[in-house]
Amino acid sequence: MIRCFVADLHVHSVLSPCAAVEMTPRNIVWHAAEHGVDIIAVTDHNAGDNVRAVLEAAKGTPVTVLPGMEVETKEEIHVVALFDKMRSFQEWEKVVEDHRSGRLNDADKFGAQFVVDAEDNLVRVKEEMLLAALTLGLEELCDRVEALGGLCIASHVDRPAYSILYKLGFIPSGLKLAAAEISPLIKKEDALRRFPALAKIPIVASSDAHTMDDFIGGPKTCFHMEQATLPEIRQALYSENRREVVL
Amino acid sequence: MTVADIIKALPLTVIAAAGELSKPVEGGYVSDLLSNVMGFAKANSVWITMQGHQNVVAVASLANLSAVIIAGGASPEADAVKKAEAEGVVLLATDLPAFEVAGQLYGLGVRGL
Repeated sequence: MIRCFVADLHVHSVLSPCAAVEMTPRNIVWHAAEHGVDIIAVTDHNAGDNVRAVLEAAKGTPVTVLPGMEVETKEEIHVVALFDKMRSFQEWEKVVEDHRSGRLNDADKFGAQFVVDAEDNLVRVKEEMLLAALTLGLEELCDRVEALGGLCIASHVDRPAYSILYKLGFIPSGLKLAAAEISPLIKKEDALRRFPALAKIPIVASSDAHTMDDFIGGPKTCFHMEQATLPEIRQALYSENRREVVL
Repeated sequence: MTVADIIKALPLTVIAAAGELSKPVEGGYVSDLLSNVMGFAKANSVWITMQGHQNVVAVASLANLSAVIIAGGASPEADAVKKAEAEGVVLLATDLPAFEVAGQLYGLGVRGL
């Protein structure tokens, strides 16, 4: 049966240096269940160390967790990469590890990066600088995500910082981009008026939450589909088989 | 030369850290890619960019830059201004395009090498 799955495909955990300390696996899953969010993707900057913990924390709850990551391309464009299997996500983590700058994070300047377990306990501090560009260009990055069965969504395209429309000014043809995400700052109609390039690509809204208030109050997207899986989300983005996206 | 000296010579508005204008200016750097600035900008340089978000401040602080000039009429974001005040990173803004800012600084004797 086709129904609306409420999804937030862009949520940061305490691994992201800019996220608040309350963004722990159990807390995120609990608030998702409490507020009727069916699907979440935990998408930390250039790393996925907390994804397993969030998947584990969601066991036995109605919340589906998709492995994800918000990656920063060589052009300093942010892209949310989503996967439906841990195996492919692990492959993706290896690709990212091979393309980091090699710099170490300065927690005083950028913020701390915490790896935690499913009970929200601190496991370790992530040393690598995550809030920095990978050495992968946008096109190659999206190609490699697709090749692993994942999909790419351009982050907060309406915002000046780190967005494809401000960095490049357009969406290159042939780019394997499944959708564009609009930020909490704008409505879909206004985004379409201001950015004509968006007429050619499916649009989703996500919270890009860095705090629990962002998550609770931020925009979500309703995916009309049968199951909470990435292939179904892909069909909904392209309005296939009676699936669709409603903002 | 100090940050105060270049403010006297160019149409720059002080956006943050007005108490830090005695910082020395020993060079200049132009880039809109933060990773590039982290890798190549020398300490005590002024950095000209169109980016106005808060990670600009983090990078300027990390690289020990004397000031950030946000050029081309771009406006710094509110959280960037707040962070710059807290960290003592001088933020300057101008309507001049980046090329013109660099040219005028060069005319004052600021070099990029």
